[in-house]
Amino acid sequence: MTRFILRRLGISALVLLGGSVLMFVLTINSGDPLQDLRESNDPNRDNLIAQRITTMGLDLPWYQRYWQWLTGAAGCLVGRCDLGTNRAGVDVGSMLENAASSTLRLVVGATLLAIVAGVFFGILTAIRQYSGFDYVVTFFAFLFFSLPVFWAAVLLKEYGAIRFNDWIADPSVSLLTTLLIGVVLGIVVQGALGGDLRRRLMTGGGTALFVIVAITYFDAVDWWRRPALGLPVVALVSIGAGALMVALTSGFGNRRVVRAVGATVGLGLVSYLALGGVLADPTWPILFGLYAVAVVIALACGWFLGGFSRRTAMWASFVTATVMAGTVVMDKALGAWAGYLQLQPRPISTIGSQTPNFDGTFWQDFLDKGTQLILPTVVLTLISLASYTRYTRASMLEVLEQDYVRTARAKGLSEREVISRHAFRNALIPLTTIVAFDFAGLIGGAVITEAVFGWKGMGELFRTGLTQVDPGPVMAFFLVTGVAAVVMNMLADISYAFLDPRIRR
Amino acid sequence: MTVTTDAGTTPSDDRVLSFDGLDVRFTTEFGSVHAVKGISLDVRPGEVVALVGESGSGKSVTSMTALGLLPKNARVGGNVEVAGKSVGSLDSRGLRRLRGNDVAMVFQEPMTALNPVLTIGLQMSEALELHGIAYGRAALDRAVELLRMVGIPEPERRIKQYPHELSGGQRQRVVIALAISCNPRVIIADEPTTALDVTVQADILDLLRSLKDQLDTGILLITHNMGVVADMADRVAVMFKGEIVERGTVDEVLNRPQHPYTRRLLEAVPHLGRGPGQFGTSRHAANSVDMVGAPALEVKNVAIDYHRTGKPPFRAVDDVSFVVRQGEVVGLVGESGSGKSTLGRAALGLIEPAAGEISLFGERFTGMNAKASKRLRRRIGVIFQDPAASLNPRLPIGDVISEPMIVHGVGDRRSRQKTVYELLDAVHLPRSVFNRYPHELSGGQRQRVSVARALTLEPELLVADEPTSALDVSVQASVLAMFTELQERYRFACLFVSHDLAVVDLLADRVVVLRDGKIVEHGDREQVLHHPREEYTQRLLAAAPVPEPGEQRRRREERHRLLESLGDEVTTLQLDPQRQHGRLDDSTRE
Amino acid sequence: MTDPNQHEAHEAIVPMPGGQGADPGSLQPVTRVEDDLEGATTDKSYSQGQLVLRRFLRHRAAMISLAVLVFVTVLAFTSIGVGPIPGWWTYNYLQPVEVVNGGRPTLSLWPFSIGEHPFGQDTIGRDWFAMVMRGTQRSLIIAFVVGIVSTLVGTAVGALAGYYRGWVEALLMRMTDLLIVIPLLALAAALGQISGGRNIFVLALVLGLVTWTGLARLVRGEILSLREREFVSAARAVGTSPARIIVKHILPNTLGTIIVAATLSIASAILLETSLSYLGFGVKPPDTSLGLLISDYQNAFTSRPWLFWWPGIFILGIALAVNFIGDGLRDAFDPRQNRKKD
Repeated sequence: MTRFILRRLGISALVLLGGSVLMFVLTINSGDPLQDLRESNDPNRDNLIAQRITTMGLDLPWYQRYWQWLTGAAGCLVGRCDLGTNRAGVDVGSMLENAASSTLRLVVGATLLAIVAGVFFGILTAIRQYSGFDYVVTFFAFLFFSLPVFWAAVLLKEYGAIRFNDWIADPSVSLLTTLLIGVVLGIVVQGALGGDLRRRLMTGGGTALFVIVAITYFDAVDWWRRPALGLPVVALVSIGAGALMVALTSGFGNRRVVRAVGATVGLGLVSYLALGGVLADPTWPILFGLYAVAVVIALACGWFLGGFSRRTAMWASFVTATVMAGTVVMDKALGAWAGYLQLQPRPISTIGSQTPNFDGTFWQDFLDKGTQLILPTVVLTLISLASYTRYTRASMLEVLEQDYVRTARAKGLSEREVISRHAFRNALIPLTTIVAFDFAGLIGGAVITEAVFGWKGMGELFRTGLTQVDPGPVMAFFLVTGVAAVVMNMLADISYAFLDPRIRR
Repeated sequence: MTVTTDAGTTPSDDRVLSFDGLDVRFTTEFGSVHAVKGISLDVRPGEVVALVGESGSGKSVTSMTALGLLPKNARVGGNVEVAGKSVGSLDSRGLRRLRGNDVAMVFQEPMTALNPVLTIGLQMSEALELHGIAYGRAALDRAVELLRMVGIPEPERRIKQYPHELSGGQRQRVVIALAISCNPRVIIADEPTTALDVTVQADILDLLRSLKDQLDTGILLITHNMGVVADMADRVAVMFKGEIVERGTVDEVLNRPQHPYTRRLLEAVPHLGRGPGQFGTSRHAANSVDMVGAPALEVKNVAIDYHRTGKPPFRAVDDVSFVVRQGEVVGLVGESGSGKSTLGRAALGLIEPAAGEISLFGERFTGMNAKASKRLRRRIGVIFQDPAASLNPRLPIGDVISEPMIVHGVGDRRSRQKTVYELLDAVHLPRSVFNRYPHELSGGQRQRVSVARALTLEPELLVADEPTSALDVSVQASVLAMFTELQERYRFACLFVSHDLAVVDLLADRVVVLRDGKIVEHGDREQVLHHPREEYTQRLLAAAPVPEPGEQRRRREERHRLLESLGDEVTTLQLDPQRQHGRLDDSTRE
Repeated sequence: MTDPNQHEAHEAIVPMPGGQGADPGSLQPVTRVEDDLEGATTDKSYSQGQLVLRRFLRHRAAMISLAVLVFVTVLAFTSIGVGPIPGWWTYNYLQPVEVVNGGRPTLSLWPFSIGEHPFGQDTIGRDWFAMVMRGTQRSLIIAFVVGIVSTLVGTAVGALAGYYRGWVEALLMRMTDLLIVIPLLALAAALGQISGGRNIFVLALVLGLVTWTGLARLVRGEILSLREREFVSAARAVGTSPARIIVKHILPNTLGTIIVAATLSIASAILLETSLSYLGFGVKPPDTSLGLLISDYQNAFTSRPWLFWWPGIFILGIALAVNFIGDGLRDAFDPRQNRKKD
């Protein structure tokens, strides 16, 4: 097994090398690096040209320039990175730090979101094949798949950001819009849940009613500007998540799992109340530490209370704990929203990935970065979401035709158990390879999105580098994205082996 | 038109499974398909009822109604009762309680019946927990016990393994263990042994028989194999196009069939031990075989390796030598993994042997260059197993058959067409087939086209790789009859690869028995198949069932004696001797 | 061993007594067995290709999309003409005219009228409809050329890799890895810079040369599975040359996969080219492309939204139509996905 991994790493290294040569040669041949200077009227022109030639090494042959870059980049393996400078002499390495964190934040977030949502919709549409729900979701999948990223980004910028900012200044939802939203959500929910007419009316109508009441309430208390979730909502969501996990994994008949998940929810709520002070203005390490503690508590609940269904209980508690952690974070963040609006009357910015010189509490800073992150993430997610949904759907449909699913039904398992315990894992297996391959496409999408939203990320490095025929920033872009792609491929292989025991043994 | 010779129905209703006027229709894009047309059948505890039929007869559909597992586009009429409960009247929860608990099913394909990503233990304890028989640790213990019962060695280790680590026969045992785990009253076995080797099949049938003997379970056995019916069944029902056309005890139906369809079916089954002359064929005298000239095919010390990535090569064939003389039919027999198909392909020059040499008509074939080998290939023909994959779906039949002539530049368009028509006549296909496409033909018809294609250039050597294994029984019989007729007419030599000893008994002059890539025994058909010397051959022959119940019972007893003399165990359900005779102890059931 | 019951359900058996003359109970002599063939009710015999066509024509979404695509193509090329051939539209895409009503579109749906400038005018007065049509032309041409080039290269490479294996296959695998490591957009951008600006055909050619790997992998996979099929083995056993095997036996059976993949590659080519042009690495002025049009006026969204909407809708529409056509083709070639009545 280790030999296999080493061999793969070796091949990846060679491929990276080859790719770097290709990228380098293409970049330096893509135009004239002195073009802007040649056309300028600056009296100092000739000096500037000579200066640039020295900085960029334009008088050297290409292989020497490449070798220079390679030796510098190889230093990264031992910790002394020298990625060269851009044409103005600024060290690329320092530019890279900020840029990389921005872009990777975006791309990883979008990938995770797309996977979760894609799998969710893919499985639902496979179960409800040829229903109205299926057709609608499929149509939207095609739509998002055919959407030009840059166009969608601009659209989102206009409606998601500018109009939203206008609206938040004096937020109110008209009655017509409220009714419309309620009805649409009702229709979606009843389509997803299926069932006979009576059941559909109940689920759809119930949802619509709930949404309409909620929105009216929010409007009345100006929740849009002064939101708060508070203990009741957090508790409700936690209990709901716990119930959902129990329903999906073992069913309510299994008391041990119910007890384990219940204990997790209870302890979680208690700690939420107890740690209110700590959570008021924490730091990232504290937050991660608390999450780790929560996970440990959840796993412990599963282990001790799970009895013979230990593993199921642990898994269900883990997911519930994660959802609860997310809800608590949202609660705290929303609590800071009011204050944030004071500092930033137009919250969703359209330029840049964070407000420069921002000085606020942790949560306000979180909101700041968060609001900037939302729109680009949504754009990227939409594109990947479409293909993941289709792939999961196709894979799930194929799995449902298999003999072992028939065996599971013949044992007497309910449809829900058949899908969650038998079909689900098998359907995910082909998805891992897709995600790995899709990652490179996602990077391309990130380049475009950053251009639209004015982020100073890897995309911008690449674009300016290429337009200026400056290999430094372009190669830095290639290095990070290439290594990230190799890592993703490795991860995909590992998850494949994790999911499919036929590969392991 | 039903011919019944029932022994009279008993008034007491202890039937564990009964179909009463069952009628099933499917609504498809092309209209309504009437799959089952009002049949009635029942199974009592401790008895095996065999439901016999070919493809399209509706037998599988019938069995699925007992579990309520038909797809949504099925309309079911009539009544199905399992252990007294009417399946049609149950809601989904009742149906789920029924499945596995009152009625269990053993499906055909053991290789795909188990979920590949879950351990055996998990899949077994799932059923137990579902029906409230045992939970957690207790469920796993019970699973170990069940595995031991069905004869899987080292069950504690197997519990933690995944399905792909078990062989086909072992997987089928696991499936049977799953089926009996919740003490069902009746087990429905749909072609449970079709995908298994004949020796494994005999073991599984022994296991099923001991199931009914010791646990008093009723078994509905669905099969097309008359030998299996003779071995297992107490009563038989014959299905044809959705109707039961004959029923009775196994002795009545198999020995004194009344209905023409049953008669035809039985006459189409090759009977191991009766030799050539079945199906109205006569055999040429042995001196039509050319003993003097160069043999058509000579295999000398051939070894063939399969290369796998990351692992050492697997030796599929090891030091095999035999000869096929001109005009002779040699049967190459073996179970799966014996290397017989590999050898067949090597004889065609499709695989290069790793060692040894293969000669055709006295010329060395291995290592020949393309031009010379093409000359030699004119003299060989090939028939493969899968009728669906044997013909290029894009070419009309006329083109398929004339391909070899075009490749070797024989004749012009007119003469080729003439040849094709002649060949179509020879394989008893209508000439109108010339312009049709493969997807418009049935399996048997496609196989005849394959035969025609093989004969196009009047080959002197034919390699047939399981040519009738994928066909229904009656179709197989007519194809085999046609084949022997052609062999007599054209006098080609033939290497006939098969796992079915009865078919080989019908056709071959000499027989070669392969096991794990090595030759175990070879010689005249009469000697190898009727008086085998080697232990392995004896086992093979003992395990092959014949379609006559009395004879089969004798053979079974002989086989058990043979196994015991060889030191093997006869497969039976191994119950804890402390348990009571009869049903499994289900006091742990909540 | 295969199960005889697994293949098609309609095994023609001699029918019940009362049918043919000879006693069906006996098997000798075996004369005209299995005379009735499926589909022999008419004399018409459908080849695979014809069956596929019939299924495709029944796919509603694909048919609608095909109609839309044809309409858009015809509109784009005839309205303003192409090359020396003039079009029927009054305005062309180069000539600014007087700005009317702030350049607003004159297209109205109720009552239906087209007006002078149905898509409006840009900031310097050029007719936006003409510009969008011109952009559509360029983008369509590039997309089709890229599709054709990448299909040809991909099929050739995939076929060779699949049939001959060995070093050809290894080469293909390395190239695929290479193109995973370098994001396609970056590679295409660099290539666009080198070649673009001069001639859209050169740009299209160059783009086609880097987008074939997906198709090559698909074709290779198909061929790997096909070459193990028994009819290919039968052809080899008889002595058929490798060339004839590939051309007559293998490729015709991969046609389905190739056609579907080619169609889908056209859709992604449109998106790739417009994205590149948007970023400035693809088609450059004075030539135009839908992507370029959008990038030029993206900031005018609030004041002149029509400048933004129309090119985008055309890109979306074309890509969507081509994707639906590809999906329809896929369903036509692989009928396992077809709808069963519930």
